Amino acid sequence: MITTRKPRRDKESQMPRKKRTCRFCDAKEVYIDYKDDKRLSRFVTEQGKIIPKRITGTCAKHQRQLVKAIKRARHLAMLPFVSDSIR
Amino acid sequence: MEKARLYETTFIVNASLDDTQVDSVIGRVQDVIVKNGGTANALNKWGRKRLAYSINKKTNGFYVNIEFTAPAPLLASLERAFQLDEMILRFLTIQLDQKAIAARAKAQAAAAAPPAADPAPVQPREPLFKEPAADKKS
Repeated sequence: MITTRKPRRDKESQMPRKKRTCRFCDAKEVYIDYKDDKRLSRFVTEQGKIIPKRITGTCAKHQRQLVKAIKRARHLAMLPFVSDSIR
Repeated sequence: MEKARLYETTFIVNASLDDTQVDSVIGRVQDVIVKNGGTANALNKWGRKRLAYSINKKTNGFYVNIEFTAPAPLLASLERAFQLDEMILRFLTIQLDQKAIAARAKAQAAAAAPPAADPAPVQPREPLFKEPAADKKS
């Protein structure tokens, strides 16, 4: 018997959930640069926390690189440890 | 002789200094690199930027990025020079690995390519079938 996997459905709309892909893999990125603070800021919450990969869909390999880049950028005061509004 | 590796250092200079004073701070850093057997490959001044949080009660900083090749012991003396210099608020030195170099080459290629990219001229296609009439004549 052949079983096919059903696509996961959204609880509210019952539409098949769109499969998330790692956007760094899509762009065939090999290195995430800490100098690119505008780009890194998209993977950080308003409070300055790093967004987990289960939400952004980043793969494990790129999440590790991303975390390193964010932490380097924080050290150089390009990204906040805690945002101003919280302090 | 130790193997020379490619490094990159970024540091933040006190932004309340004049441009000439900032240059002298950068000069001091470059001196340390050259005196300890390294060579500076590239110097990028990102200029004055607002800091994401205050460092030593300062909210602005002058960012400088230097790429250099050096033997490993240089890093210790460079770090010491950074710590002794009161005009340097923060510094970060990293070793550039193959991936970083590849990514940078790719970014440069992407920046250089678009103006040169013309659509390739369309080649006239060979007819797939020869007309039978042409065969009979020959």
